[in-house]
Amino acid sequence: MSAFRIDYGTEVEAAIARLESVIQGSPEIAEHFDARWLAVSLIDEDPGLAEQIGQLSGSGPVLRARDELLTGLRSTMGTSADTAIAGARYQMANDIVVAVTDTTQVRERTRTDRIDAVVTNRFLGIPIFFAAMWVVFKITTDVAGAFLNWVDGAVSGPISHLARSLMDAVGLGSTWIESLVVDGIIAGVGAVLVFVPVLLSLYIALAFLEDSGYMARAAFVMDRSMRAVGLQGKSFLPMMVGFGCSVPAVYATRTLENERDRVLTTLLVPFMSCAARLPVYVIMASVFFPRYAGLAVFGMYLLGIAVAMVIGFVLRRSLLPETNPMPGIMEMPPYRLPTFRSIWFHTWTRTRAFLRGAGSIIFATMIVVWLLMAIPVGGSGGFADTDVDDSAFAATAGFVAPVLEPAGFGSWEATGALLSGFVAKEVVIGTMAQVYGVEEVDEVEDPSTLTSVGLVFTGLGTAAVDAVKAVPGIVGIDLTDAEDNEASSSLSASIRTGFEESSGGHGALAAVAFMVFILLYTPCMATVAAIRHEIGTRWMWFSVVVQTALAWVMAVAVFQGGKLFGL
Amino acid sequence: MVENSGELKIALAGNPNTGKSSIFNLLTGAKQHVGNWPGKTVARAHGSFTHEGHVVEIVDLPGTYSLNASSPEEIVAREYLVSGVPDAAVVVVDAANLERNLYLVVQILETNVPVILDLNMLDAASSRGIQVDAAELSAQLGVPVVSTVARSSTGLEELKDAIVGVFDWEGAL
Repeated sequence: MSAFRIDYGTEVEAAIARLESVIQGSPEIAEHFDARWLAVSLIDEDPGLAEQIGQLSGSGPVLRARDELLTGLRSTMGTSADTAIAGARYQMANDIVVAVTDTTQVRERTRTDRIDAVVTNRFLGIPIFFAAMWVVFKITTDVAGAFLNWVDGAVSGPISHLARSLMDAVGLGSTWIESLVVDGIIAGVGAVLVFVPVLLSLYIALAFLEDSGYMARAAFVMDRSMRAVGLQGKSFLPMMVGFGCSVPAVYATRTLENERDRVLTTLLVPFMSCAARLPVYVIMASVFFPRYAGLAVFGMYLLGIAVAMVIGFVLRRSLLPETNPMPGIMEMPPYRLPTFRSIWFHTWTRTRAFLRGAGSIIFATMIVVWLLMAIPVGGSGGFADTDVDDSAFAATAGFVAPVLEPAGFGSWEATGALLSGFVAKEVVIGTMAQVYGVEEVDEVEDPSTLTSVGLVFTGLGTAAVDAVKAVPGIVGIDLTDAEDNEASSSLSASIRTGFEESSGGHGALAAVAFMVFILLYTPCMATVAAIRHEIGTRWMWFSVVVQTALAWVMAVAVFQGGKLFGL
Repeated sequence: MVENSGELKIALAGNPNTGKSSIFNLLTGAKQHVGNWPGKTVARAHGSFTHEGHVVEIVDLPGTYSLNASSPEEIVAREYLVSGVPDAAVVVVDAANLERNLYLVVQILETNVPVILDLNMLDAASSRGIQVDAAELSAQLGVPVVSTVARSSTGLEELKDAIVGVFDWEGAL
């Protein structure tokens, strides 16, 4: 195989030959690199390479020769050497393309061009984008919601009963071990599994958008709006992924070219409401505004975007000024029908990452919460036999609660849920179920083990039917019975009473303030870890402090402002 | 050129959106590991496969448009290609966007790493009416060219044959 080489023209070739001989005179350098390649790259003014060479001994003569040659070339050719080199390479690529391709059959307007004419249209582009996002949200709330209820019901009902019966059978009934297994371990596993339907449907939707080629158009359509907050269209992908989970979104900022865009995008990603925050909104909204639950949830997403725009605007004018507004090149892959295999691959790797990464943290938190709730601080109960009100958990949360009083949810129950939410948003509902729901457990009638198992399977059938029924709802037709959706479980009732009490009768307003707080404060430990990994400890603390302060200010503003307007 | 270790180290390079990751997944299947490039916040995926008794290690380089060091991805790709570690580079190119893709190919050829060209997405190109002559491309560049359609796993065996064929280059082994 003969060595491949491009002819860069007389002047450049002379300079390359001269530099090559200098390189060969520096054995420390010549042994690391191919001499011609190094000469070409140095004359191509590759900044990183000159730096790298500078660290080797014997680099002095090479770099000096390069500088002299570059000055010489600039004066003899009138253009810079790197332009000439890039030109020669493009010429070569073009010559080969002309020699090997037959374009006589090329159709002027492909199907992709025709779709793009509509989808990236100046006026239709953004409405189409929002319609696509709306469908994604409806799929995750309505279609996945039915399965979410099934998983939740199966874990808290039949499976917990089965575990209790088994514990009774081996003589451990009503001991702390039974409490650990049922209220700690099973509830913990349940809190993880509850997210699987939501994440699966969200990841399937995102994979479909990515593989079909639409995501690239979405980035293009959003480019202008992203530039308004000092970002570029490419920042859009991490933001989009942020609606699924902040952790992969933070890692997705790696596709951005410069440091400043990466830092800014990473700081804004947590404001994109992740899937783990979704169940909290869904439950709060269905308790307090059952008829407008979808709208309330969508509103939270929009609020997150709006806050990100404001923060982006402020940061752009303060800590992160625009450095080098390089026009981004955006590539539009042709539209393709995604293959089942690739959608499944994306969906499964992401869901598995959640189960491995977040799952263990959620599970551990649930056990810690159980432990804190089992330790008696006051009252007369023993370990795992104390009233929740007298537990170490209530004491800790009660200590912090007064800070949240101006926001209308200064009860130890709500505070406790938020505290565990620092570890992972996924556990907020689980913790609420633990703190609000503990007294209700025995009121449920005890079905036999056999019927329990049966219920799990008939429940799956019902969930599937509900999910199918929810599909027309995406386009506005509601087939499900409205009364079915009205929250009537004991958890909902406890949440309602709890919020009415802590807010002095403004329960719904406190619920909105709570949702705003959930939206804005630090998403979870895993995200904090990812932020530190990507942009360093200083920015991590910046993110944590700013988000928590902002959440408190906004929640208080909503609650106090709402009261002023008589809500 | 190839060390007599019986194991081949291959770098997988290419522009973004050429189906490079699909090719990587098809070649390595479940046998892959994902981490970071040392000291960099750039994802590094590597994996291996066995073909006709040869073990082949593949490193999936980040997708780049050039080797000029203007982004962390390009620096990572460039440093790995000139490090002397890879025995050969498989460069995945999008047949429908040949010119822009060839710019990277030309830069990789200049590093003197042996190259196998994977002409991918031929189906997309021909649906747009673009016909690419793989044999002529191979003659022009002086490197083996394999045609693949990653979506339907077409040409995968030929690609593996070409990779293992590196063992025979320059009379090695």
